[in-house]
Amino acid sequence: MALYHGAMALVLMPAVATTYWMHIAIVVLLNITYTVALFSVLRMGYLSLGHAGFIALGAYTCVVLTVRLDISPWWGILGAGVMSGTVAWGLGAMTMRLRGIYFSLAIFAFGEIVVAFFRAFDWFGGPSGIANVPRPVFFGHALNDHFSFYWLVLCMSLFFMALLYRLQYTRYGATLLTLKTEASERLAQSVGIDAARLKTATFALSCAVVGTMGAVHAQYLMFINPQVFTFLTSTDLLIYAMVGGVSHFWGPVLGAGLLTLLGEQLFSAGYWKTLVYALVLMVVILSLPGGLVSLLDRVRDKWFSNARN
Amino acid sequence: MKFVSIASGLMAACLALATQTHAQESFKIGNLSPLSGPAAAFGIGINRGIELAAEDVGTFQVAGKPYKLEVVPYDTSLDPGKTVAALNRAVLNDNVKYGFILGAAVHGAVLPIIRQNGFFDIFMGAAGKEVTNAENPTVFRFMASSDQLYYTFTPEIYKKLNIKRVAFMGPNNDLGRSDVKVLKEIATRLKGQGVEFVGEELVELNAKDFQASLLRLLAKNPDVIDTNASPTGTVGLIAKQARELGYKGYFISSTAVLEAKALVNVAGKGADNIVAYRIWSAAPTKLYDQIAERHQAKYKEATLGTVWEAYAATRWVVEAVQKAGTFDTKKVAEQLANSTFQFHPYGPASWGGDKTYGARRQIQTPLPASIIKDGVWTPLDVRMGTLE
Amino acid sequence: MLADKQRAIFQRCSSMSLTLLLQGLAIGLVNGALYILTALGLTLIYGILHIVNFAHGEVFMLGAMLVYVVYVLWEWPLLAALPAIALTAAVVGWLVERGIFRRLRGQWLQLLVATVGVSLIIQSLSWLVFGAQEKNVPSILPGVLVAWGIRMPYERLAAAGIAMCMVAALYAVVYKTRSGLAMRAIEEDEETARMLGIDTDKVAGLAVALGFALAAMGGVFVAPIYSINPGMGLEAILMSFIIIIIGGLGNITGTLVAGLFIGVVQSMGALLLGAESAHVLVFVVMIAVLIFRPQGLMGKL
Repeated sequence: MALYHGAMALVLMPAVATTYWMHIAIVVLLNITYTVALFSVLRMGYLSLGHAGFIALGAYTCVVLTVRLDISPWWGILGAGVMSGTVAWGLGAMTMRLRGIYFSLAIFAFGEIVVAFFRAFDWFGGPSGIANVPRPVFFGHALNDHFSFYWLVLCMSLFFMALLYRLQYTRYGATLLTLKTEASERLAQSVGIDAARLKTATFALSCAVVGTMGAVHAQYLMFINPQVFTFLTSTDLLIYAMVGGVSHFWGPVLGAGLLTLLGEQLFSAGYWKTLVYALVLMVVILSLPGGLVSLLDRVRDKWFSNARN
Repeated sequence: MKFVSIASGLMAACLALATQTHAQESFKIGNLSPLSGPAAAFGIGINRGIELAAEDVGTFQVAGKPYKLEVVPYDTSLDPGKTVAALNRAVLNDNVKYGFILGAAVHGAVLPIIRQNGFFDIFMGAAGKEVTNAENPTVFRFMASSDQLYYTFTPEIYKKLNIKRVAFMGPNNDLGRSDVKVLKEIATRLKGQGVEFVGEELVELNAKDFQASLLRLLAKNPDVIDTNASPTGTVGLIAKQARELGYKGYFISSTAVLEAKALVNVAGKGADNIVAYRIWSAAPTKLYDQIAERHQAKYKEATLGTVWEAYAATRWVVEAVQKAGTFDTKKVAEQLANSTFQFHPYGPASWGGDKTYGARRQIQTPLPASIIKDGVWTPLDVRMGTLE
Repeated sequence: MLADKQRAIFQRCSSMSLTLLLQGLAIGLVNGALYILTALGLTLIYGILHIVNFAHGEVFMLGAMLVYVVYVLWEWPLLAALPAIALTAAVVGWLVERGIFRRLRGQWLQLLVATVGVSLIIQSLSWLVFGAQEKNVPSILPGVLVAWGIRMPYERLAAAGIAMCMVAALYAVVYKTRSGLAMRAIEEDEETARMLGIDTDKVAGLAVALGFALAAMGGVFVAPIYSINPGMGLEAILMSFIIIIIGGLGNITGTLVAGLFIGVVQSMGALLLGAESAHVLVFVVMIAVLIFRPQGLMGKL
């Protein structure tokens, strides 16, 4: 029920909102999609500390294809996803056997290397980046203003969210949960589940998603440079996921949505913004281990039990 | 009883609302610069410059209506993504049409938005033709560009200090790389005087350890190391580490804010023989001193480097708006480009750059040259030319 | 193409005097020692408690800030300032362990994110309290040592020396004291340690306190060499991560070896190939270690 209302709101919003709200909506949708993709890896028991690197990889791929090689922005978006997904597959195959923090640090290292790589070469814009990134043209109409671009962002994020949601609740998704710890993974393998393949595939999919949205993000800014997606971006996504709650799908959505909105409101507050973020994070972590979404669960349960009485 | 109090409350509110519409409106000036982080002094200085100008301008008339200045700050941390977000917010949500945008590095991202919305950009940053040109009529550079300094000032300084071997150590970004090219060009032009460009090192913007790069440069025996527009801390560290490696020559900096005290804090005696061409060691006008006094009194600390230029820019833009009789940014731009200004703390100001940039969008003011001797800035007697 | 580049590097190497190369090596070793000083606290906390303390960089920065406040602003004598700062950091660490780490025992993801939260809190408070202006601590030992044509400031030599002393002291504490024994016991097997009567809570608190103190001391001794600003924590933690990835998580010897190694790689790399290439080189080394020896040079998986 709530889902239906939410979807309706998202679709009808452009009719009543201002251009500024479109900007906010686009940023919120981007962050939600990134966080949900991160979540799909997180629930397997793997923490990626370098997801920003894959976002950047996708963004740069698209920019290079469209600006340097004059290819259509639509192919740029597709190429971004393919590039991120493929590299993630390769990286995953090499690193998924590492557990816990080793995996995280390996992905962290990769994230840093990606950014350093793009920074080092002028063809990728070097430290100053590349501007005038073209936006896609839809049936002759270039998506050059916030309103029309919003539709693109909305469609893509809804598509990816639906994809990841469905995958989670299929047999595939349930199987992934069995990989959460080393012991249960061994158990799963004993009944014939190809754990390694599964994990790598999930990681690759997650990175393909963020890479594609990274391309969209670059088209939104019409600009990319090595400072747009950094280690701090990766930690931000992690914070969104944790504050929202990692017990089920809507946690990351809630976390990303709320914190991005909060962040935009506190825009001119400089370091007060970081402090507020951090305090919210600490309060949630220490008192609500399930994240904010568990609070909603509790409220909902209470409401239902009251209704029954 | 309750009804009466509510009714009177409502009436008071209505009255207040009514009188509000007759009170002056605000002329919002945005400040999109770093207000936090290592470059915060630049952004905060601009805030203060606008505030001091607002005190002097007070309520002013534009086409018969009264207005008052209002600063709208946006912290960009010199990050292009944040600057884009800030400009979006300013233009689309906060109805801000005029503003300071600091940083050449962030302009790549915002110029399209500026062009699309006709935003009046009071540009505080170096770089050159990439930002101020004929395609960006509402972008004005209100401080000296690196081109200006290099083409019209640097050769004079080399002559004065008998500098022959020139080395460059600057940031590895657009600014650093284009300035290396310009410097090499200058050196070629001055070949007749025996000037030679001997080496360059491009370092990461936030680097703190330059020893290895300095070692490479020092092997070529330079007379001067040009540290470009690097921040104060970086200049101090480069000087300190170069002296530790035995360097005895000069340094030249085009940084806008370079406190001798800060440099001495980092480099001690090593700060001597640092040359700067945007630092006044003696006040050029009475206005300069007045602003410094007011700043000290109001903010309880020494004047931040960007205050004077921000003050001048604010007052000049207000004057241009008044003369144009409208807030239309294109018309105000025309008015401004053809005017001169008498209230710039550095001296009489005008615009130049027609030939070099294809548009009259480069401010021309008197500029100083100073050198640190015994830990304090002392004037260097060198004149600067005008940019065509 | 490649042959040309190689020839250019070879020419550059041979045209550089021996003095230059030795100077580069000296710079590398001393910088390496500074990296060790920076990373040691992180190694300890991970080594004992298997917690990656993301707040490590910020505590390092805090140490530098505090030495500015206490030694420069309040003009305390150095001998009073140093223990005061170490103690403050230790107390903060103990409180963080007590209030946060202990509550989240066993939930590694929440723990990790909690340390990120702590780092953000320390960082934002520092910006707000100390302001953005760069600060400087004057050299305690000004002057440059000149020997065999090589120049090295006394300040850096002193910091390098202190780094080595700290490594030695840490070895002594961890391997030669009862508390150290208790720490190693917890690292080995917490359940058994508790059953043997070791107060695991107290020891965990001690380990974190010591780790925070080490981080702060790192900041204190690096402070006079470079300048201080509230943003220096990020660089510190990035470098510390690189060191522990290459050396081996939680391994003191690994930190020692990796620190010196990376210092030299960076310095010689910058001297022979240029600063940007040297930067990339460090990352290449890191990736190579992760691919071929993920447990680090000295670690065990």
